[in-house]
Amino acid sequence: MSSGFEKRLLVVWLALCAMTIVSLLAGSSDGRDAHMPNAAITSSTIAIALIKVRIIFREFMEVRHAPVLLSRLTDLWVLVTAVSLLGTYWAGMAFSTG
Amino acid sequence: MSAAATEAGTLPDAPSGSLLHRIVWHWRHNPKWELWFAWWMMVVFYNLYGVLFFMVTRVQPPPPAWLDASSVVQWFDDRHQGLLVGFAIVFLITGFIVPTNALLAYSMRRMSVSRAFPYSYLVIYSMSAVPGMLLTCVALTVGAMRPDRDPELIHWLYDFAFMAFDGTMGVFLIGSLVWMLAILLDENRVFPKWFAYLNLCNALTEVVVSPAWIFKRGVFAWDGAITWWIDMVVFVIYTTVFITLLRRMIVREDFGTGPLPELRTEEEAAEDARKPSVSMGTAR
Amino acid sequence: MTNVASDGSRPRGGDVQSLADEPAEATGYVPGQPDMWAFVLFEAFLFTGYFVVYMVCRIQNPELYLQSQAQLDLRIGTFNTFVLLTSSWSVARCVQSAREGEFRSALTNVFLTILFGFVFLVSKLLEWAHEIGKGFGFSSNEFFSFYYFLTAIHFLHLLIGFIVLGVVVHQLWSPARRSQELVETGATYWHTIDFLWVIIFALLYVMR
Repeated sequence: MSSGFEKRLLVVWLALCAMTIVSLLAGSSDGRDAHMPNAAITSSTIAIALIKVRIIFREFMEVRHAPVLLSRLTDLWVLVTAVSLLGTYWAGMAFSTG
Repeated sequence: MSAAATEAGTLPDAPSGSLLHRIVWHWRHNPKWELWFAWWMMVVFYNLYGVLFFMVTRVQPPPPAWLDASSVVQWFDDRHQGLLVGFAIVFLITGFIVPTNALLAYSMRRMSVSRAFPYSYLVIYSMSAVPGMLLTCVALTVGAMRPDRDPELIHWLYDFAFMAFDGTMGVFLIGSLVWMLAILLDENRVFPKWFAYLNLCNALTEVVVSPAWIFKRGVFAWDGAITWWIDMVVFVIYTTVFITLLRRMIVREDFGTGPLPELRTEEEAAEDARKPSVSMGTAR
Repeated sequence: MTNVASDGSRPRGGDVQSLADEPAEATGYVPGQPDMWAFVLFEAFLFTGYFVVYMVCRIQNPELYLQSQAQLDLRIGTFNTFVLLTSSWSVARCVQSAREGEFRSALTNVFLTILFGFVFLVSKLLEWAHEIGKGFGFSSNEFFSFYYFLTAIHFLHLLIGFIVLGVVVHQLWSPARRSQELVETGATYWHTIDFLWVIIFALLYVMR
């Protein structure tokens, strides 16, 4: 495999692993036994997860090189998922404290 | 039968005039008559099915699985007339399923794959109408028939009906997988490959119905967001797609055994007609 | 360098190559069958539906979900995530090798992918056994219903993934086949298993 690709794939993989670790550290920053919902942790967890997915789309699944339509569709999915998940969560938090 | 080469979509000398006149003319002259008949029966069936189940009998969307006996009796009461009339019609039109399944099996016969595919599909889907529809209709009709029956018996019929309807997805699931596999292996390009994958999606959503056997409440019950609502969205998309694709198949059909010719637009067809060396129905 | 802004904007007109010795690939290249992409997007939206239903249920009962979530072993979940990310990496390398005609390397990579998939499978079965052993089954409570449901439907996709990888191996094995399109199609499917898991992991194991 040409070293350009090999290097790029390796960097991507390392980045994804690193983001997993970051997300975990953030996720346990309240102490794992805390029994309170935490909007900051949840938001960052979901956001990081979706950024990872977008990287998987663009780098591993090669959407980077794909027609713009595919790029738009995958980005649309990321957006819809982000909005619906975070929106639902925040709405839930708002109603429970309101 | 060789291509009594009807150009895709239009027959030479097809008459205009009253609907009846045109139908009779096609019955006499259109080599694809049986295919079109089956397709229309399918369209009529699915539309009637929707109207009868959702509006006349109002058994869909399904009622909650956690109702107690007296609420269930009330449910039957509210729908008494609708159930009896609606299901009477359903029993009459059950026969419409036959041309539907036949057309689907035909699509597989037209493919380059073994005949085991269409035949097993026919067997599976013929059987599937029993639990998937008829048992439910019978149970609900029996429940509506004598409103003064013991409430516990009516409750039993209610549970039986909806579990039969929603819980027996296994048969449909296998049918979808058979069709999927046939399409993936097919070299005659009867259907696009993405439709094979849509069959897989449909099959997977049918697997998702199985928690309905365990839960009486919530999103996994037979009326749940996951087991019914999302499922139904996928099913409606799937059904609309395959009705459309079957129509395209019939239009493209050349009664050969090789690859099915692609649909031509009117401009392309006109251009073909101007070039005498281009044979009709050459696959692109 | 390529603009990969997290808000999704990118320069129109295709990508500019960012590494000097990257073979010039035509932009506008769809990896694998576009049909498989249709499937991937459809499944992705379907799963979003499931995730939203989960989230709606969760916000109605946060304490139950938090307490139940604490019963999950985060280490296994994390391990699963690393395994699948690595399997995506190996299948991406497989596609690249095949594209450059290095079929032995491609086969090695796809076998590695299968191996990682298998590691995930075993780990998931062990995890389920462990949770059931602790007394948490499918109908124990709402959280666990979702836990088993999401991981099981994902697991089912994984099983299908083995069949898909089998097709990839079959293609790469003999010089008479080696359809690049089929290899890429298979890889596209496999990546779906990975990215769906990334979200499932975040929603079941990590979020509060």
